[in-house]
Amino acid sequence: MSRRSTALALSSLALLMGVMTSVAAIAAEKILNVGYNDSLSGPGAVFGLPQQRAIQIAVDEVNGAGGIKVGADNYKINLITNDDKANPTEATNSVRKLIDRDNVKFVIGFCCSGPTSAVASFIGNEDVLMLVGTAAEKSITTRGNSNLFRNRPPGDFTGAAAGRFIASKGIKKLAVIGALDAALYNQYLAALKVEFEKLGGQIIATESAGLGDRDMTAQLTKIKGLNPDGLFVEIYVEQAAFIYRQANELGLKVPTFGFHGGSEEQFLRVLSSEQMEGVYDLRPTELTLAALGPEATKFAESYKMRFGENPAPNTGYAYDGIYILKAAIEKAGSVDVKKVTASMASMNVPTDVVLKYLPVDGKLFDQNGQAYITNGAFQWRNGKWTFVSELPSDTKAYSDALTAARVSKNPIK
Amino acid sequence: MPSAAEILQQIVNGTVIGSVYVLIALGLTVIFGILGVAHFAHGSVAMFGGYLTFWISQKYGLSLYPAMILAIPFGAALGVILELFAYRPVRNAAPINAFIVALGLTMLVDRLNMLLFGPDQLVIRTPYNGVYEIGSIAVSELRIQVVVVTVVLLCLIGYLISHTSAGRAVRAVAQNPYAATLMGIDVNWVSLLIFAVSSALGVVAGALIGALLALAPGVGENLVIKGFAILILGGLGSIPGAIIGGLTLGISEALAAGLLSSAYKDVIAFMIMIIVILLRPQGLLGRE
Amino acid sequence: MKVSGLQFFTLAAFTLLGALPYLVVTPYTIQLATIALMWVLMAQGLNVIQGETGYVSIAQAGFMGVGAYASVLLVQRDGFPIWGAMLIAPMAASLLAAIIGFPSLRVKGHYFAIVTLAYNLVIFITFSNAVSITGGEGGLSEIPRPESLELPYLGTVSFHNRINYYYLTFIIATFGYLGAWLISRSAFGRVLRAIRQNEPLAEAVGVNCRSYKLTAFVISATYAGVAGVLYAHMIGFINPTPFAPDASLNAILAVIVGGSGTVAGPAVGAFMATFLPEFLRVDESTRFIAYGLILIIATIYLPRGLVPAIADGIAALRVRFRLDGSRHACQKPRPANE
Repeated sequence: MSRRSTALALSSLALLMGVMTSVAAIAAEKILNVGYNDSLSGPGAVFGLPQQRAIQIAVDEVNGAGGIKVGADNYKINLITNDDKANPTEATNSVRKLIDRDNVKFVIGFCCSGPTSAVASFIGNEDVLMLVGTAAEKSITTRGNSNLFRNRPPGDFTGAAAGRFIASKGIKKLAVIGALDAALYNQYLAALKVEFEKLGGQIIATESAGLGDRDMTAQLTKIKGLNPDGLFVEIYVEQAAFIYRQANELGLKVPTFGFHGGSEEQFLRVLSSEQMEGVYDLRPTELTLAALGPEATKFAESYKMRFGENPAPNTGYAYDGIYILKAAIEKAGSVDVKKVTASMASMNVPTDVVLKYLPVDGKLFDQNGQAYITNGAFQWRNGKWTFVSELPSDTKAYSDALTAARVSKNPIK
Repeated sequence: MPSAAEILQQIVNGTVIGSVYVLIALGLTVIFGILGVAHFAHGSVAMFGGYLTFWISQKYGLSLYPAMILAIPFGAALGVILELFAYRPVRNAAPINAFIVALGLTMLVDRLNMLLFGPDQLVIRTPYNGVYEIGSIAVSELRIQVVVVTVVLLCLIGYLISHTSAGRAVRAVAQNPYAATLMGIDVNWVSLLIFAVSSALGVVAGALIGALLALAPGVGENLVIKGFAILILGGLGSIPGAIIGGLTLGISEALAAGLLSSAYKDVIAFMIMIIVILLRPQGLLGRE
Repeated sequence: MKVSGLQFFTLAAFTLLGALPYLVVTPYTIQLATIALMWVLMAQGLNVIQGETGYVSIAQAGFMGVGAYASVLLVQRDGFPIWGAMLIAPMAASLLAAIIGFPSLRVKGHYFAIVTLAYNLVIFITFSNAVSITGGEGGLSEIPRPESLELPYLGTVSFHNRINYYYLTFIIATFGYLGAWLISRSAFGRVLRAIRQNEPLAEAVGVNCRSYKLTAFVISATYAGVAGVLYAHMIGFINPTPFAPDASLNAILAVIVGGSGTVAGPAVGAFMATFLPEFLRVDESTRFIAYGLILIIATIYLPRGLVPAIADGIAALRVRFRLDGSRHACQKPRPANE
């Protein structure tokens, strides 16, 4: 061979190799568009913004570790974010846009029940997978949508266990104050009432407060006049803090139980630690580090380092959502939405999640697409929420009841 | 059947919140009564004052009252700016225009507050956490202070109106703007003064709400609607009407929530408004 | 036939909207356009009480909610056929408007506006708290589309198809628009405008202002009720949130900025109010600041609204370029007619 043709052959070979490796590199790294719809402004932002942060951390972790492995390909997650402003019409438009314009096949987020219910009304007809986070309205998972999954348990799942707990503390006359127009709270209360009354208790007062109210002195004065031996508070964190403060100021001193979540900082902005002493919070364990494992601690540290504050309890749902999606895709070995949906419906509890899930028949999601986490009792002791005990819950029975609640004209679509 | 003590407690609760309502209603009634402007954005201005108080107290480590006093001039300045740039251009147009401008201003100032101070609720913490118990009636220190501050301000305003030349000018414009102009009073200047004073009252109201409850988006609108309910109840443009109306509303809300249903507490204000319009449109103490 | 600038514009817009589903196929845009048409109904209705009669009403969204909940409850609780419910439900809004308008319309401008805001709030609070009926904040879901129709030429028309629902809304909005136009040109409309310009004078010459105002208020509420019905059956889910006073403010914005003295104005305003936020995907705060500024600036500098301003502008241009048949450039431009 002449020197010239050798040079030509070698350089062509080099070029070919270069092209091949770069093509291989391009082929190996792909983008997976994931639609993220949440309430990032307006009244729901208190739940939506923490979710957004948690998802950002999860996505960065997954992408940093190489992405989602599907065969020879690595999919990096590209999050397309929309704000539904806690408004159902906005949510419908926003998800519509994600599906039509951005062509996503996976939508996550959904911290608030109103907008989520609106989307759940039409998502069954779409070729996408919807993974719901903090939204707690029960009927979101009773519509027979086979492509909708939720890892946050509905309110009444915890309510029943809470009723038993309160009765176990010897309370006989319970006064209730809460945002009773919100589905989450009235479902929780309904379940609580059933169990509490079964064990001989009586609910002597049911006062309501609006989700924007901060002055509950009138309701608390009325409650005080009825001489309860226990007080139960279920409302958003910010208002719960005012209720506890005003109860103190009115001299209402009885064992107090709540369902509101909230970090220590959120409460201490409104009232002092002494005023909070002894208050119980009866809720899904969510992101309570004392009750969880090392993944949770690692997540909390990343969150604190990046955003300068402790993660809110509902951040666990959002963070896990990304890892659940990743596990389902990897198990399916494909990003085809039908395969991933089938995979998600039958998967076990994945390893990288932070929350503690209770499997149903060995699987993460039950036949309604609903997952369950443990319930816990927490008590404010010396300026900190302390994990007291787990609240025993019967997941299988609840899941069966949920299936029965599914409207019969909604076969799985 | 609730006991006398419980009813009394509700009345005490109602008086405290009623005092804040009085402050808001005062700010509204002077502007409406004298200038004929439905200054809907007053609630947002009050919130601005409250947020500013919070910020000053955090940044310079001051407690509630010094921070509030420092915030007052800025609140007054905001009121003046709104008058000059938004309300004055439509002063001689149809009243509906001023109302639309007011709606626009409400959106503007409310969102400006959100941009400047964030969407989270802010609570002005005070050291006045002590609780006084008289019999079985419990009242916290802070709540007593709110009532005291309101009374002090009312006396101050009353004095200013009756014993200063500025006050006389305001009264003259209130009686007859045209005659006042003929007498050499600059109506423009009086307008600015009225907006400044009203906004100063708003700052105090906002700061007190921030200490008693919290500052958050939406609180301002809620307050101003109640403020107008009070105006309708007490009579547009009547200062004694604002006082009586404010206390009446506060106490009625507390009693209704206590004796009837807490769910519809806010509805009381509106029911009162509607009933008054039906039976006595000029309000309890208003002139036609 | 001489067609004024405004009429041409209206016809062009109408044709465009009629052909929309075939011009733009994305479901998202069709959905948005359907919602915009519902807001055309809202704005046209509001214009009757606000633009023509001069009484600002901040209750429009509340009436929309009344229509929406009425229709859904009739279907879900009482088992009404869907078309029947959709037809009857707006009357709930009309009835409510008659009941609450009767005492409230005796007060003047500011009072009335504030009172309507109060009504909207009461309606909102009631929706939120009557949980056993309305589902409260959790709302009512699985609202069905109206039953399919058998039509000549078209065969079976199913309203699960979003294009068909778009045309349903389009047809109803067109009727609404025509209704508003007829009102505007009628003697009734003239009386309303007289009331707006000088109510004491109208009263003095023997006009029963009370009944005219009440009729206008009821008409505007009915429009809102129809919009509410269409909304509920399209989105498939309702809760109190879309019927809060902010949405009423949206309607007011549409009417003011579009032009309260014209019939096309509110329609233009409605489209702007629906599409602009989608284009300006900025955060909530900035958007509301923009709304506030627009409202203020429009009221001060464009008191008659955008459409008349544009129409005036076009008319001026036509004179400038001698397109309207005038011979002298110094002739004053005639204001654009309806």
